[in-house]
Amino acid sequence: MPTVMEDCVGAIQHRFSPYSFNGGTLLAFAGSDFALLAADSRLSEGFGIHNRNAARLHKLSESCVLACCGFQGDCLSLLRILEARVKMYKQTHQRPMTCPAIASLLSQLLYSHRFFPYYCYCLIAGLDSQGQGAVFSFDPVGSYERVPFSSLGSASAQLQPLLDSQLSSGVQLSASQAEQLARDVFVSAAERDVYTGDSVQVCLVSSVEVHRDSHSLRKD
Amino acid sequence: RLAILPSIIRGDWQSHTQCTNPGSIQTPLHHSSSSQTVKKVIEINPYLLGTMAGGAADCMYWERVLSKHCRIYELRNKERISVAAASKLLANMVYQYKGMGLSMGTMICGWDKRGPGLYYVNEEGTRLSGGMFAVGSGSTYAYGVLDSNHRPDMTPEEAYDLGRRAICHATHRDAYSGGVVNLYHMQQSGWIKVSQNDVSELQYKFREGN
Amino acid sequence: MSIMSYNGGAVLAMRGKNCVAIGGDLRFGVQAQMVSSSFEKVFSMGDHLYIGMAGLASDVQTVHERLKFRLNLYELREGRSIKPNTFMSMVSNLLYERRFGPYYIDPVIAGLDPITFKPFICSLDLIGCPMVTEDFVVSGTCAEQMFGMCETLWEPDLEPEELFEAISQALLSAVNRDALSGSGAVIHLIEKDKVTTRVLKTRLD
Repeated sequence: MPTVMEDCVGAIQHRFSPYSFNGGTLLAFAGSDFALLAADSRLSEGFGIHNRNAARLHKLSESCVLACCGFQGDCLSLLRILEARVKMYKQTHQRPMTCPAIASLLSQLLYSHRFFPYYCYCLIAGLDSQGQGAVFSFDPVGSYERVPFSSLGSASAQLQPLLDSQLSSGVQLSASQAEQLARDVFVSAAERDVYTGDSVQVCLVSSVEVHRDSHSLRKD
Repeated sequence: RLAILPSIIRGDWQSHTQCTNPGSIQTPLHHSSSSQTVKKVIEINPYLLGTMAGGAADCMYWERVLSKHCRIYELRNKERISVAAASKLLANMVYQYKGMGLSMGTMICGWDKRGPGLYYVNEEGTRLSGGMFAVGSGSTYAYGVLDSNHRPDMTPEEAYDLGRRAICHATHRDAYSGGVVNLYHMQQSGWIKVSQNDVSELQYKFREGN
Repeated sequence: MSIMSYNGGAVLAMRGKNCVAIGGDLRFGVQAQMVSSSFEKVFSMGDHLYIGMAGLASDVQTVHERLKFRLNLYELREGRSIKPNTFMSMVSNLLYERRFGPYYIDPVIAGLDPITFKPFICSLDLIGCPMVTEDFVVSGTCAEQMFGMCETLWEPDLEPEELFEAISQALLSAVNRDALSGSGAVIHLIEKDKVTTRVLKTRLD
């Protein structure tokens, strides 16, 4: 949106500021036969909250879920294109896209906007072709990496060292332990980060189903 | 001549803010380290390796495009592409985007009819052939170790150790380098992965004096 | 780059049951370059009183010297040890004297009252605005990371050894995710009859 900015010396600057930051925190774990994603549901801008029940977890296939935060406009636009491409792939090839393939596609989509990037932090989690849990963590211009766990978004700096200390020794969590850990760390994040709160949505991807759940967080 | 590609594995993901230091892997604006396990040696094909420094997405994307071109060359000409040609393909591709803010410092290493080849290519389109390079935010520290200990007649084991030491000391002094050392050895029969070591464990080992 | 993150560093204090703990990393760097891995940022200011300062290293040293000077004068004049709360006011005063040309440091104070041995922790901003808390205080280039760790690891009425475990875990995990702090850490555990100082190893990259 075009804005008129007045600074303290009184000079008027006309500037195009195409981005805003709408908050949100994402988290994902890869288990031996499941993947778990969690994201908060607060959509905010500056000191205001637009929506306390925003969806950040988007199911792309029966074994793959995308979590996305940053600038909501770019997130929506990216999601729309990605969903269309996943559907086109399925119709052309008569089989669903695998999770690593979707990750590669997302990387190319993000890099296609290298010089005017999507302001989106994305996590893709699901099951790979061997049925193992997979998490792919992205930066806004498409660099990505397969990781055992990851957090992105406004409270990522608070969550990441915690996940390191709990998980880096190679502990394998069960699905229920992972869900409990995700809920706990979001309670902590909501305590200190103003852009995280309201509720945490959890999505468990297993070979059986994509199971969704929601738990409330502090709302102030 | 041995061509060894040591590489550092920690680096910030390049966000949409641009890196001012072309050799740095991390944006100066964000000093939190986001990953310790990024693979900074990209396996282009069994006879070619590329390294990452600068923008992670830029390196990852353009070296993937390069691997596509190398494969197409192989199918068209029924022989493998030379290291010189591969590195020139990359240099020409990024040269087209010169001045637009790409950030990429890379070494292309391989083995072809002429023997081992090592080229340095960066986002400005510079392409240099040489026997030894270090790239990235900690490269100056790595050169310090390399230049003082390198001999032309080193055995592979001596070279492995020197590569590990150079990276290790660089990660110690440079805030934006760290994680693990991935060590590859380019041979006539293609590359082999020699080792992957946690630099912190190596540093404590070196401190004890061995 | 901000002057507050020119040298890098992290300081953290936590309150326990009848004890407090304060710790800091040991890195002294100039932007990306590591210069020393034995730069202590936490200083003893009495039997049960410590101050830690993160920020510009030259100001850390200057403020430490000037505080020590003022503290000595206070103790000579009064003939008794200073209370942590009074010490906080002294730091606040010293910093506010430079309101328009501040020392670029974020101090953290931890101590026990010399008479009642009541635990006390607080932090100040660079121009001396004090904040006393009941749980933990953080400062430095990895403040966010430390907040995340402390928020989960800290609980009320930790016993000394539990407190030491919590603060060590919090500090180590936080500095490992920050390029500008680390290179070892020092933790002081302050109890009524003793102060235990431990040096911790961290990753060196």
